[in-house]
Amino acid sequence: MIALKEVHRHYHMGPTVVRALDGVSVEVEQGEFVAVTGPSGSGKSTLMNIIGCLDQPDSGSYHLNGDAVEDLIPDRLADVRNRSIGFVFQNFNLLPRLTALENVEVPLVYGGMARRERHRRARLMLERVGLADRSGHRPNELSGGQRQRVAIARALATDPAILLADEPTGALDSRTGEEVMELFQELNREGATIVLVTHEADVAAHARRTIHILDGKVSR
Amino acid sequence: MKPQMFLENARMSARSIAGNMVRSILTALGVMIGVAAVIILVALGNGAQQSVEANLTALGANLMIVYSGEPRGAALVRTNTAGIRPTITPADVAMIESLPPEWVNAVAPTSTANGQLKYENRNVAATVTGTGISYPEVRNFFPVYGEFFTQADVDNRNRVVTIGMQIYRDLFPEGVDPLGRTIRINGISFRVTGIMEEKGSPAQDAAVFIPVSTFQRSISGLANYQLVNIQAASPEIMRDLQAHLEQELLRLHRLPSMEVADFYIANQLDLLATVQGVTGTFTVLLAGIAAISLVVGGIGIMNIMLVSVTERTREIGVRMAMGARGRDIMIQFLTEAVILSVGGGLIGVGIGLGGSWGARTLARTAAAVTVDSVALAFGFSLVIGLFFGSYPAWRASRLNPIEALRYE
Repeated sequence: MIALKEVHRHYHMGPTVVRALDGVSVEVEQGEFVAVTGPSGSGKSTLMNIIGCLDQPDSGSYHLNGDAVEDLIPDRLADVRNRSIGFVFQNFNLLPRLTALENVEVPLVYGGMARRERHRRARLMLERVGLADRSGHRPNELSGGQRQRVAIARALATDPAILLADEPTGALDSRTGEEVMELFQELNREGATIVLVTHEADVAAHARRTIHILDGKVSR
Repeated sequence: MKPQMFLENARMSARSIAGNMVRSILTALGVMIGVAAVIILVALGNGAQQSVEANLTALGANLMIVYSGEPRGAALVRTNTAGIRPTITPADVAMIESLPPEWVNAVAPTSTANGQLKYENRNVAATVTGTGISYPEVRNFFPVYGEFFTQADVDNRNRVVTIGMQIYRDLFPEGVDPLGRTIRINGISFRVTGIMEEKGSPAQDAAVFIPVSTFQRSISGLANYQLVNIQAASPEIMRDLQAHLEQELLRLHRLPSMEVADFYIANQLDLLATVQGVTGTFTVLLAGIAAISLVVGGIGIMNIMLVSVTERTREIGVRMAMGARGRDIMIQFLTEAVILSVGGGLIGVGIGLGGSWGARTLARTAAAVTVDSVALAFGFSLVIGLFFGSYPAWRASRLNPIEALRYE
């Protein structure tokens, strides 16, 4: 599903070179629930950006669903993000002027799905995260936990190969965070491949496998 | 790009415009004012042109005048011809009158002098015009009361006079019917035959008209005429007729060329063309000034769109993460700019039409809205939206999604 080999990503900050990723090789199989952990500055955000096709490696290879994506042009990369990646962010990143349903529809719009089909699909996704009765609400009318569920429904909308969650409980209280993690576990049991990026050990504990990053390298 | 994406973009843009209504209206205000200004100012320019043309046409249809003296530029009607040495001979007039009806409809040889009118104890200064019976037709200037003098009056050198409206008011006490009454012109008695319609110009309203034969004998004592009013048969014949008249009159006067001629010919078409040139330039100038405000409005749109792109950096990052391509983002913001400018343009068209209507009915100004100016102003607002929206939209489309997502 995900296969990174010897991936390097270096940033030039003035005269110094920051080796954010320094030869990382990672494989994630279909149906896995993997946590990527590490202290801040370890390179886990860079790894997440590359897995999420927001960034590209300087060297090394990245196969997603068997396709090489390390050299794609930005438009193709956007298509890959649309079809194969579902993002869940720490701060939800819902669009404030759109209703919950419309937020879930956004990736379907860019995927070119017809309006009627899009509504049907978005409704189904909201049902799946238990928010069918909140479809007409705007983000500011929803609680933090509900917002994150809408975000998860949006991430699931295009039926992506992987769900990529970046500190999904970071802005939630511990009880709500626990509920969101349980939702992830449930989705994983139903077959979703999940990559969870976090620096909290107890959040990472919900995953079945943990990849620890330190100084741009996989440490264990 | 799938056609439905345009619809989706338009929907997203409309939503973001509606979500920020006050700002959107203020942004579109510049274009609104610009479009309205173009339409109103062009309407005023056109109205001025039309009223000048109407005034010129009111002088008489297909009017051509042969003047005594050296050429004086494009003036068709000289307000005061009294005192000009007459050089147009009876032979000249006979030549003009002998031209076929396909060329000339009517001829009115004319001379003028300043005269003193007297009725009982009232004294009035007036332009005394000696002319033929075709004068009312040629100059589109008719009696409203009584009659113009007749051919018999001309043939018999009768002392009869048709008076201008202003002269009637100044010379006769209220309630006095002037028909048949006798007035004195420079001490000579004339019987009043009628009153001319009011034209609103002192040159016509403060004049009196007598048979040209009477004028030559009793007022000027000269056989020559100062000018000849001619009604050409059609506008198409004008230029040829003028050329023919110049050639024939030079021959009769034994002169080699128009440079040394003792007469000149002015025609309505040339004057109309001159006036149209002047008022056309005037209209273009007004439109140009108004167009500047349209451009300024466009800069306002660009300014707000740049602010909007910065404010919504995070939204752009999210959309990119969801699979929006640079082009999708570009079209979204471009659509927004175009909706703002075209919306402003539409409201501006409304204000422009309303303003022109107001100028016409309330301020009684000549204002003629043209379809061209409305289409031009509206089209210009569309172009301005595209032009000034493209840079902010391009900036939005080039954002790095990682940095855009991290933007606070």
